[in-house]
Amino acid sequence: MGMPRYAALRAAQTAISFFILVAIAFFLFRVMPGDPTAFLLESTRIHPETRLLLKQRLGLDRPLVEQFFIYIKNLFIGELGYSLYYGRPVTELIFSRRMVNTLVLVGTSTAAAIGIGLLLALTSARRYGSKVDSALTTFSMVTYSMPTFWLGMILIMVFAVRLRWFPVGGTVTAIKTHSNALEYLADYLWHMVLPFTVLTLIEIGYNYLIVRNTMVSLLQEDFVYLARAKGLSEGDVMRKHVFRAALPPFATIVGLQIAGIFTGAVMTETIFSWEGLGRLLYEAVSTRDYPLIQGIFMLILAAFLITNYVVDLLYAALDPRVRLR
Amino acid sequence: MRFREYLRILLRNPYGRLGLSLILFLSIISAIGPYISPYGVWEYGVCKPFEAPSPAHPLGCDEIGRDLLALLLHGSRVSLLVGFAAAVFSTLIGALVGLLGGYFGGLMDVVLMRVVDALLAIPGLVLMIIFAAVLGPSLFNVVLVISVLSWPPIARVVRSQVLSLKESPHVEAARAFGAGSARIILRHIAPATLPLLVANMVLQVSNAIISESALSFLGLGDPRIPTWGNILRFAFRMGAMSAGYWWYVVPPGVGIVAAVLSATFLGYAFDEIVNPKLRKY
Repeated sequence: MGMPRYAALRAAQTAISFFILVAIAFFLFRVMPGDPTAFLLESTRIHPETRLLLKQRLGLDRPLVEQFFIYIKNLFIGELGYSLYYGRPVTELIFSRRMVNTLVLVGTSTAAAIGIGLLLALTSARRYGSKVDSALTTFSMVTYSMPTFWLGMILIMVFAVRLRWFPVGGTVTAIKTHSNALEYLADYLWHMVLPFTVLTLIEIGYNYLIVRNTMVSLLQEDFVYLARAKGLSEGDVMRKHVFRAALPPFATIVGLQIAGIFTGAVMTETIFSWEGLGRLLYEAVSTRDYPLIQGIFMLILAAFLITNYVVDLLYAALDPRVRLR
Repeated sequence: MRFREYLRILLRNPYGRLGLSLILFLSIISAIGPYISPYGVWEYGVCKPFEAPSPAHPLGCDEIGRDLLALLLHGSRVSLLVGFAAAVFSTLIGALVGLLGGYFGGLMDVVLMRVVDALLAIPGLVLMIIFAAVLGPSLFNVVLVISVLSWPPIARVVRSQVLSLKESPHVEAARAFGAGSARIILRHIAPATLPLLVANMVLQVSNAIISESALSFLGLGDPRIPTWGNILRFAFRMGAMSAGYWWYVVPPGVGIVAAVLSATFLGYAFDEIVNPKLRKY
């Protein structure tokens, strides 16, 4: 299968996934809560005729299938409704500074977790079965088993409350007026240290375990035997052969993992009052702000489908065997 | 029965031993905990609010003067039960989808796998949070949401194994003898996927326990029933961190880590059973 055909096939699959998820969302946000005019009837004793009129104006009298297509159309033109809590358009709340804050936090910690995770995996695989290896493996399993929010709470208690090295939460100091951009940046980074550490620590374990295990299972392969027979040093065998062979499977995992990191961001941002999309989702959930929850859901959906698509294409470009399947 | 052989492999592995003893310990605690607990869940005012640990109250007290050890003992039972129940349900759904899709193929397989892909594309916990928020806070909904949203990876693993099993000689022989689809699936294919299912279910337990704690922490569980996540929710909301009440924050998290870790260790050891290449110890 050529690259263009593969790209088209994956695009079609992505589109199907999108429709399945939008159907789930439609069911979840529109059908399940029931008729939106019902609560008006209870609360204000609205006249049945007025209610009928309202239903017609809102398009609720049309068949559900038609409503579904109107729903999709509204999605595409970016009509996500108004937040019940903020009383502002959902798109305005989402495409704001919050999005930048989340991208900065998630982006930097993902990069750090990948870098450190790979480094530790390489260290471990070179000393497979040694004390260092088991110590690192156990450490990764422990951090991997920690709930993100609990790790955040512990770090706050130790480094923010007891030692007072870092702020308890927030994105910048609220009462402070920053005299210049550099000062603002410094303040911002100072607030980011703890949430960044939490997200990175949580993600390192997974990266490490995956790459280490892939490398260890590759150790018995013929090409490793050959590389050793050629007289390469153990370090070169690991770095140039085993490590490299372990990277393609890891690439797919990174694609899937971006999803997991956003989850971590919801918990971390909640704990540290980091003004991002994750915290916005928590607020929306606490106030039962359905249009806002729905808007964030749609954004996540689009973001992840597109990322997965791009990662798949990159992977196929790197490893032609994928396209043959 | 190969159960004994599996147990032997499990016990030979240090991680397997550790995981098994941890899970046994936690199970015993949560089974007898509520009976040995000195106070009930709703006995408040037995000590001062946020009282520090003392011989009378080894883990201190919460904001309404409830004994935290008692809450923890009751909570571990609920947390573990929710974790196990959700893991079992999601594994069953995943196994069913994988068996049906893999065995029958065709349109059903295509549709099922597209649903799997769609659900795998977005973060599980975020989806759980959103579903639980729409369904409303309750412990039942927490179990429901975790079960209904965690099966896709299992379905995919099972399906790929079924695809290869379907072509294996023993299934062909069964078919030649005139066995029907139901018999082939139940007698010849499903049992062969069992080790894989058990290994994945163990990992599902850790996923479910973490998910439950996160959902409860966000206030999507039942606030009246103590779970590890719920206790931490109140610790967070009552400002236990800023006040330095470590006895309110640390123990529930240790419980979660211990439970998840035991499942992770077991899953790691189970890898050897499923993947004989790794058998080294």
